[in-house]
Amino acid sequence: MLMPRKPPKGFRKPHHPDRHGRAKGGTRVAFGDFGIQALEPAYVTNRQIESARIAMTRHIRRGGKVWITVFPDQALTKKPAETRMGSGKGSPEWWVTNVKPGKILFEMSFPNESVAREAMRRAIHKLPMKCRIVKREVGEV
Amino acid sequence: MSEVKITAEPRTEFGKGGARRTRRAGKVPAVLYGHGEKPKHIALPAREFAAAIRHGGANQLFNIEISDGTSALALPKAIQRDPIKDVMEHVDLLIVRRGEKVTVEVPVQLTGEAAPGTLVVQEHNTLSVTADATRLPEHLEVSVEGLEAGSHVTAGQVSLPSGVELVADPELVIAVVSVPTTADLEEPAPAAEEEEAAEAAETAESGAPAEESA
Repeated sequence: MLMPRKPPKGFRKPHHPDRHGRAKGGTRVAFGDFGIQALEPAYVTNRQIESARIAMTRHIRRGGKVWITVFPDQALTKKPAETRMGSGKGSPEWWVTNVKPGKILFEMSFPNESVAREAMRRAIHKLPMKCRIVKREVGEV
Repeated sequence: MSEVKITAEPRTEFGKGGARRTRRAGKVPAVLYGHGEKPKHIALPAREFAAAIRHGGANQLFNIEISDGTSALALPKAIQRDPIKDVMEHVDLLIVRRGEKVTVEVPVQLTGEAAPGTLVVQEHNTLSVTADATRLPEHLEVSVEGLEAGSHVTAGQVSLPSGVELVADPELVIAVVSVPTTADLEEPAPAAEEEEAAEAAETAESGAPAEESA
């Protein structure tokens, strides 16, 4: 499961990241031939990323390559159930990446386009927001 | 590559309000600069410009006729796109002259099929070359026909048309032919077990994410 090796000092219990706006970078397919692009903002957990990766790689079996272009380096906290308010912030519960619309989450290189699209469609079902499959255009700026 | 004639209007209003009004009118805000000339702010017809880029590629040469009577030969230097709608938001155009040598990034296309059971991964999709501004290649082709696993194609191996010089490092790897293994695909993050072990240790020490090892 993806997570930081060691949580950065002073950022173990951060505030919730800003969910407004659009992705500033990582919006074009850079490594592979196809990509999964987010269309809504979301906090994507490392479990969801791993689940999507497994769904994708199990479908293509062999003959392809998958890139994960996001990293869940943001901790989110949660207070235990049936706890009264106060007594400080809860303990870190999830590792997430703050995804904004336009961000490419996964990229894939595979010779057969229809198989690649089906693999990505399965991966999208594991993600918490609307996504679409994008293809790298030849010669785009 | 043949040049495309396009008419433009000078822009008089600026800022996000002006730019949005320009876009709503079916135009793309653009700036034209180069050769020490004062930058000109223009508006290009969005549909025609997008079609020209789609067919001619990112290095399409434009003959821009501005309605104030001036004209210029220009190459797209940068194009800002909306990541969701994929429409052009703004274009930077660089003035060039006929016969002038310019350095541009030209897309590289792989042709042919590598040996069966191998995976070709393109490491670099473009190559930096110098050529006459009016004779820029649309794309460069390099064959991976019959290449065995473990071999790679470098920038020096790409055959260039006459008048085109390579600027990029000739040793730059363009594509790698490898054998895809099931282990590669099924392996989670590198050294995931170690990380989980470290995380579990930290959890014990400082109450860090307990959920992960569950």
